[in-house]
Amino acid sequence: MSSSTAAAVAAASSPAQPTGAHLGHTSLNIDSLRDLARKELVNVLDSDHGVEKIYHLQPGPLETDCKNLIYICRPQVNYMKYIAEHIRTHTNDPRGGSYTYSLFFVPRRTALCEKVLEDEGVFGEITKGEYHLDLIPLEDDVLSLEWDSTFKELYLDQDTTSIYYAAKSLMRLQGIYGLFPRILGKGDYSKALCDMMLRMRREMAVDDLDASQTMQLSQSIDSLIIIDRSVDMVTPLCTQLTYEGLIDEIFHIKNSFVEVDASLANATSAPSGAGSGGASTSTAVPGKKKKVPLNGGDKLFGELRDLNFAVVGGLLNKVAKRINADYEERHNAKTVPQIRQFIVKMGGLAAEHQSLRLHTALAEEIMNYTMTDDFNKILEVQQNIVAGIATNKEPEYIEEMINKQAPLGQVLRLLCLYSLVNSGLKPKQFEFFKKEILETYGFEHIQTLENLRRLGMLTKQVTTKNTYGLVRRSLSLIVDEVNEHAPNDISYVYSGYAPLSVRLVQCVVQRGKDGKQAGSGSKGSSIAGGSGWKGFEDVLRMLPGRTFDETQRVDDGQPRSSKRLNGQPRISLVFFLGGCTFTEISATRFLASQEGGQRDFVICTTQILNGNTLTDSLIQKVPGLHTTS
Amino acid sequence: MSPPTADWIQLHDRFYRKQEIYTMLWKQVDLSKFMVAAAPFGGPLALVRDDRKVLLLQKQQAVRPSIYLYTSSGKLMEPIQWDKGRIVGMGWTDNEQLLCVLEDGTVRMYNILGEYTQFSLGKEAKDNRVIEVQIWGSGLVALTGSFQLIAVTNFDEPRPLSLADPGINEPPHSWTIIPPKYTLSRHVEVLLAFNTTILIVDATEARDELLQQGPFTKMSVSPDGKFLALFTSNGKLLVVSTDFQKNLSEFSTGSQVPPQQLVWCGTDSVVLYWDKIVLMVGPYGDWIKYTYDDAIFLIPEIDGVRVISSEKCEFLQKVPDVTENIFKIGSTAPAAMLYDAFDHFEKKSPKADENIRSIRLELSDAVEACIEAAGHEISHQYQRSLLKAASFGKCFLEIHNADSFVEMCKILRVLNAVRYYEIGIPLTYAQLSPEALIDRLISRHQYLLAIRICEYLKMRTDRILIHWACSKIKKSNDDEDTICRMVVEKLANKPGLSYSEIAMTAHKAGQSKLATMLLDYEPRAGDQVPLLMSMQEDELALVKAIESGDTDLVYHVLLHLKRKLPLGEFFRIINNKPLACNLLESYCKQQDPELLKDFYYQDDRRIDSGNLTLMESFQQTDITERINKIKAALRLYQDDKEHVFEAKAIEESIRLLQIQVQLEKDYSHPFTGLSISSTVYKLITINQGNRATKVRGDFKMPDKRFWWIKLRALVEIRDWDGVATLAKSKKSPIGYGPFVEECVKAMQFREAAKYILRCDAHLRAGLFLKIEAYQEAGEQAYLQKDLDTLREIRDKCPNAMLQGQIDGYITQLASSH
Repeated sequence: MSSSTAAAVAAASSPAQPTGAHLGHTSLNIDSLRDLARKELVNVLDSDHGVEKIYHLQPGPLETDCKNLIYICRPQVNYMKYIAEHIRTHTNDPRGGSYTYSLFFVPRRTALCEKVLEDEGVFGEITKGEYHLDLIPLEDDVLSLEWDSTFKELYLDQDTTSIYYAAKSLMRLQGIYGLFPRILGKGDYSKALCDMMLRMRREMAVDDLDASQTMQLSQSIDSLIIIDRSVDMVTPLCTQLTYEGLIDEIFHIKNSFVEVDASLANATSAPSGAGSGGASTSTAVPGKKKKVPLNGGDKLFGELRDLNFAVVGGLLNKVAKRINADYEERHNAKTVPQIRQFIVKMGGLAAEHQSLRLHTALAEEIMNYTMTDDFNKILEVQQNIVAGIATNKEPEYIEEMINKQAPLGQVLRLLCLYSLVNSGLKPKQFEFFKKEILETYGFEHIQTLENLRRLGMLTKQVTTKNTYGLVRRSLSLIVDEVNEHAPNDISYVYSGYAPLSVRLVQCVVQRGKDGKQAGSGSKGSSIAGGSGWKGFEDVLRMLPGRTFDETQRVDDGQPRSSKRLNGQPRISLVFFLGGCTFTEISATRFLASQEGGQRDFVICTTQILNGNTLTDSLIQKVPGLHTTS
Repeated sequence: MSPPTADWIQLHDRFYRKQEIYTMLWKQVDLSKFMVAAAPFGGPLALVRDDRKVLLLQKQQAVRPSIYLYTSSGKLMEPIQWDKGRIVGMGWTDNEQLLCVLEDGTVRMYNILGEYTQFSLGKEAKDNRVIEVQIWGSGLVALTGSFQLIAVTNFDEPRPLSLADPGINEPPHSWTIIPPKYTLSRHVEVLLAFNTTILIVDATEARDELLQQGPFTKMSVSPDGKFLALFTSNGKLLVVSTDFQKNLSEFSTGSQVPPQQLVWCGTDSVVLYWDKIVLMVGPYGDWIKYTYDDAIFLIPEIDGVRVISSEKCEFLQKVPDVTENIFKIGSTAPAAMLYDAFDHFEKKSPKADENIRSIRLELSDAVEACIEAAGHEISHQYQRSLLKAASFGKCFLEIHNADSFVEMCKILRVLNAVRYYEIGIPLTYAQLSPEALIDRLISRHQYLLAIRICEYLKMRTDRILIHWACSKIKKSNDDEDTICRMVVEKLANKPGLSYSEIAMTAHKAGQSKLATMLLDYEPRAGDQVPLLMSMQEDELALVKAIESGDTDLVYHVLLHLKRKLPLGEFFRIINNKPLACNLLESYCKQQDPELLKDFYYQDDRRIDSGNLTLMESFQQTDITERINKIKAALRLYQDDKEHVFEAKAIEESIRLLQIQVQLEKDYSHPFTGLSISSTVYKLITINQGNRATKVRGDFKMPDKRFWWIKLRALVEIRDWDGVATLAKSKKSPIGYGPFVEECVKAMQFREAAKYILRCDAHLRAGLFLKIEAYQEAGEQAYLQKDLDTLREIRDKCPNAMLQGQIDGYITQLASSH
């Protein structure tokens, strides 16, 4: 009996493929998390056998031959409306037979969505269920809720839903890996997250007393460090200068996939001719896009991703030479066993070769972009602003960008950076820029400016006290001598600027006042018994939001410093609430490399963002405004 | 003690046994006069007088019929007064609720205590009446008078679903269903015997299997859903696979009359019942016949058949393999030897030792087999002797893990306890699932036993305690304080137990004071919310929801309050709760903008109102409407002293729109929606430079911006003369760099060259280099004494002669240093 089933999926990326390489070299076994997610997905789909087709959930009628439809989506109002529209077109179609609808919410069903379905009059038609996918392992050391709208929701709408989901997901991690002995953090929302976790643990005793009593302190994870995005708005606005960061800036990496021109991507699928160079002969139609996965499964990418882009070219060159030399070995293969050996090796070589082609093409593309005058000018202005080098040039250049009608997002990135670093714009300047923006980009941006003002990203200066300057000095955010080839500080990721968020993490894990000294102190000391924020109180006081340091105990009352298993590094979980950038991930990995195998980091975040996606979510959009006649 | 094989009967190569479990407690129940439904897993029986059968009118009989619920041991649990129409079918759900399907399509679900909920099968059922119904653990299919099929597949959210039209015009000879979990499509399938064939019907189609052997007057699907037993009108019993691909066996009964019941015994034999005769047919055509004095009823179980007669409850099953190995006469299996050895040991016979020696190597397996066989025994004696034998064998093993022994002892204690006739749940070892068993005991109010079992098996007792407290509250006549004290005392030593359900029960029973008292003990904020809502404690519910941090719970309360309360009251409750306000705002933005306006208005949030109105204005396609909206927004802004700038900007936007309308009239190009800068830009690109200058003046556009716009617009339309004129018109406020830059971007190097000399001296060399004018670049660099640039030029320069010239500059400069 035909049971054709179609699944419409939205915004719930499936768990990332397992990666062979241990990228961040974390000793945490993330696979258990992956397995859980995979098993449940199978259960979701198994309620009806055999998925025939997969559609992306989008507005407009859904035309399909399948009669059993399974929707898998986030509990978001707009998706409910799309589904309602599908159902209405089906019921209004006299030829259409009867459909059955199932809807699986990721990660849970909500009263809000049910209300919307009710309002739309389709509530009764749908069988509802849940797919509890929360933290998605993008890599072995990066877990993300992939909840794209978190930043705007949390800071602009002050809708704390994501804190609740974050708390739930962290509780789940604690269920798998044991209680985190210490929770430290900075920022009001971080505090809210920590409080919610502590409360959930108390309430867990209600759900399952035995489980909560037997819950042990984690053996591998000794601390959770929560950094609230509002503590450091500067970092995401800066242009990321690592390889992965630049790919994200230029092409935008979504759910660890990047969409590039098909001609670029084709380089990967083209048959690899032995010994031929990196140039790709493309036959693809220009303008056609293709999705390419970017993860640690690609060994070369694993090597390149965290590097400053300045050194990527050289490395690619070296790899190309090595691969070429490896291919050349075939000439030396004279005897049959030698040839056989070469053939065995060739499979790996071909894969490497393909990956090399992709990255050479990508790097070339990035190079074209970074060579432009505009890019360099913006970068220079941005670095001057962050470094606090005060001249007239910076506002002048921003004005020029507006006059050239550069994309509003780009303008706002610089302007907000300028405002954040200088604790606001001087009143006259403030009005001037607002006027320029409204007159150049349209009056609908009254709302955009209001959004930025509320977030404190674009404000009028009320005090001349420059807090950012003080923070910059006391945490050595600006490092003049950067050696991109052999970096000795996290500041290499922005060629001279150390991301404040990661500096704060460094404060906890490394003793010593500034980045240069940090790391040389008591290496690998246990955080569980360590002194937390001690020594940094002054600078923390200057940053917005509360600072906290909580110890979780098991019921026998004593906080047990987690004993280290032989040779196993301790792990710190770093949770970026409100999102983080690829550069911050790279910087955190760099911290781990400084610890000499004593400490690993696993990064959790609500989503991955960059300056473009961040400002874009705050820009007021009025569809169709500029096309009315 | 009769030998264990006394009740065994051989059927081809295997043995079956029929053991008595209970002598029925009921008196003189003539099963032939009743419609019977029995729950599997040793569950209860429901009896209701079958109105199709003639019954002698007796004195004591009530006029109204009742549904009687009995345990398997015949103990009356609950009589349910029946006050509705004719019952077409009864059945039990997985969680032991009795379903009664009425002729008019009403379905009632009773729990063991006779409390019910009901739902309807819809209009089709009501109009054409239900004539028959088939029920499985989680759903039912009804056959209506017009031979349509209606299915319900989920009793939690019952939703009648019409199946495909089978296309028949007379009742099927017989019919049955395959539950969803056993079908390929995971949907329920209905098998209808029609003419000589069988139709398979699901939600989408009716398919004819094109069989010839029919008509089939009775059919039954095996417990694992793989096989189908069919009884033909000429007395044959056929067994086929449910996909009709394989014929497994055929047996001629010689009876034209279809059996009253046709059920499976496990998955390998079929049991037929005619009046007082039971015939069991095995897979190889062998058969066993049992006769009874009275009517009986067969209840298929996963591992056998329960046989209920007016006197006895018996269990008919295939003798499990381990048991057969041990007890079969002449068996020499290790386990049999062990059992025998123990027997000798008891009799102090030396043969015991001999036996043990002979099975030395397999002793461990023999021990395990005895343990398992003990599990399959109903008789306490054999349970004991088998366990003793196992224990005896264990002594001869150096290493043996006793877990399975301990585990089995525990299980047997539990099984024996619930099999006790007062409880009357004759579960077998194969049927046991502790969780489900506890649920059944709770629903029978056997709290003490349930708690004992939980404690014994180390399971959580919360469910039981909560259920106990709830029923206590429902039944008790004491005052509220006493009940509260009683409940709390009993539950006090259980930290973390959830009180909200208990409190909810109290509330439903009309004891609100008690509910409030109990709710105070609930440790979870979130769990207090639903009850507080139904207790009309609106504000408190909202506070607790916010406390829980679960935003969806807050939404839940918000939406509920919004529906229930007048708007003013609603706003009053949420106003001092920031999270509630924020959530309402973000909900309204997506779903209810009108509510948002009211919300802003009552909270006097003018700027937000203003912005909302302003955004609405952009949705208006009609310009006058749009302007009106903007004006409304303007008024809201003007009230606020802090937003003078915005108010002014909005005024400007109105002026801009008015100008744009005029421009559209004059030039028939679209203008509305463009910003001021874009308007000016566009005017220049359509060669309306003067008008552009006018608009620029209207808005007092700064010089710099205007120059940029004009420059870019002129370059876009490639009006190089225009660009030159602009450059000459007066001293450029933006310098001449942009002129070069824009020309370069447009690939007009010659045009670009015109402006380079007007740029700052130190930039010239670089600019010349950009337009590939190497000579000029060299000269400029030389003038600036810029060695680095000179070298760069030299590297890029394609012309050898020029290179020589530049080398000359370089040596000159180098030497002068």
